[in-house]
Amino acid sequence: MNMRIFNSGIILIAVAAIFSSCRKDVIADFKVNQETVLDPSLEKDRDKTNKQAISILYTSLFQKAISSNNLFQTENVIESFGDKALINEVIVSNYMNSPDVVLPSDSFMRANPDQFIKDTYKLFYVRIPSELEISFFREYIAANPNVTVELVYTAFASSDEYQFY
Amino acid sequence: MKRREFVKKATMAGIASTAFPYILPSGRLFARTTAELADHVVYVLFAGGVRQQEAVLKRYLADSQGVDVEGNILINMLNGSEPERKIVYGTTPAGEPDGSQPIPKILSQTLQNQGLLFPEIKAQNGGHYGGLTSLLTGNPSTAQGLKVRPVVPTIFEYLRRHRGFKASDVWFVGSGIGNSFPLLNSSDHPQYGTEFGANFVAPSVTFGAQGTNVLSNAKIYHPQEELEPIRKMRAFLNNSFRIKAGEIDGIRNDESEKEKIKTFIRQTFEKQMSTGLYHPPVFDSHDLQTVAYAAEVLQYFKPKLLVLNLGDVDGCHANFTGYLRSLHRADHAVGWLWNFIQTQIPEMANRTIMMITPECGRNENPNPIRDENDWVAFDHSGDENTTRIFSMMVGPNVPSNLIVGSETNRIGRATDNVLTIAEIFGIKEAVKGAGLMDTQATSLFDRI
Repeated sequence: MNMRIFNSGIILIAVAAIFSSCRKDVIADFKVNQETVLDPSLEKDRDKTNKQAISILYTSLFQKAISSNNLFQTENVIESFGDKALINEVIVSNYMNSPDVVLPSDSFMRANPDQFIKDTYKLFYVRIPSELEISFFREYIAANPNVTVELVYTAFASSDEYQFY
Repeated sequence: MKRREFVKKATMAGIASTAFPYILPSGRLFARTTAELADHVVYVLFAGGVRQQEAVLKRYLADSQGVDVEGNILINMLNGSEPERKIVYGTTPAGEPDGSQPIPKILSQTLQNQGLLFPEIKAQNGGHYGGLTSLLTGNPSTAQGLKVRPVVPTIFEYLRRHRGFKASDVWFVGSGIGNSFPLLNSSDHPQYGTEFGANFVAPSVTFGAQGTNVLSNAKIYHPQEELEPIRKMRAFLNNSFRIKAGEIDGIRNDESEKEKIKTFIRQTFEKQMSTGLYHPPVFDSHDLQTVAYAAEVLQYFKPKLLVLNLGDVDGCHANFTGYLRSLHRADHAVGWLWNFIQTQIPEMANRTIMMITPECGRNENPNPIRDENDWVAFDHSGDENTTRIFSMMVGPNVPSNLIVGSETNRIGRATDNVLTIAEIFGIKEAVKGAGLMDTQATSLFDRI
């Protein structure tokens, strides 16, 4: 092989090696805010005792603490029935029939659906709703004129997540 | 479809339906082993601890107080004449001594004459909870702890899993919420458990003063305009939650069953405020009130299995006179209930088998406590007498006027009842095959 051609080849390889060697990493920055993606409801894995569930529900609906006698009676009644979810629904319904129950107005709910939904999630689930949850309730309330605050509260109070903390 | 194709498909369908077991709505497989013997079973836990001496042996005061008066105080259940002296177990007419008027008999034919009596069988456990657990699981339950669900499946779970019954087909009507009674509607067994449990109600609480305060003012929601939105919103919320219904402890009825039960609760409150409940002619004890509510459950739901727990006789720990009154009233309750089924529930008349068994006996020797008649009381602390109980059964396909065994020839065990009910509903082999029962348990039909 001609020595001149050989040297040219060596030089070409050396140049190629230089350009294909280590380069400084480019860190992409998409200007997106860091968010926790863990669903807060995933942290709820302990079910409330009857005492806890009733005390919290009563306070949520009546804005005052339940009396010890009322709490004792309600605990016994829950104990006396096998289907706890069912008897809980009857108790909620019973509370809703009380003149002392404190609920936001239906007009507030319809005028401020997002705020109402966020408040309701915080009241019953002690967490912020996801966009999907807000969207569902916003659309459901708008599409169903029969839906009242009472019905929304009843659905939350008798849901599975409400039984856990 | 061409004729040849139709014949081919019909034949294949026929072969498939014969060769393969049934698939339940729950997605589980089962194979029925025998034909059903009855459509319904009412199982009375004649509970609280009953001494044989005052029950099937009809010795009244002779074997307890050293007073030479014998006689039968279970007049609807057993043959035999009543005591002639020292009557304390009845009602109290004005100006007469307490309890001196026996409650008139309800049935024209005793249950003994109408059915099958095992006068001497073996109780598996001398305590209330252990005894009741053995009556409901068919397992001796010697390792059963208090305040926890049974560790092996109950008859409710066997029936729901292997026979496909709904939750509202099986009911346990308890005498109260003490003694862990509310835990007896299901076991904690991983293959069965609350998913297959029964509806439980303790009427004295649910429909008593406490229940009236807490439940009786419930709203009645419009099915479409109100209930439907609640259900839809709740379904969304539940679907968003990680823990699903099957993982949440407790019995669950489906939506249609729930609404039916809510209607029953509302109607029962209304009824007891207005016309009153159906009830036995004498209605002066806790057991008699419990049986009245059991009758309401029977008439409304016509369940496949209803277990009724009575318990007043346990007053025998401190009051023998009260014990005699409670025994006489428990007999009144059972006689009335059988008559009620036959005359007031056409769908269950002549299609129901009733079984009656105490969960344990009581001691042969008394404790030192004396009552107003200076009569001694009896505990149930585990002597041989505590293991002595009886069992009886009446209804379609049950031999009438037949006694199997005797005071000196014990035949049968408390754990037999679960297999007997399983046989009535055609799943005896499936229940035996589960391998979770007393190995010596035998259906009472096979004991004959």
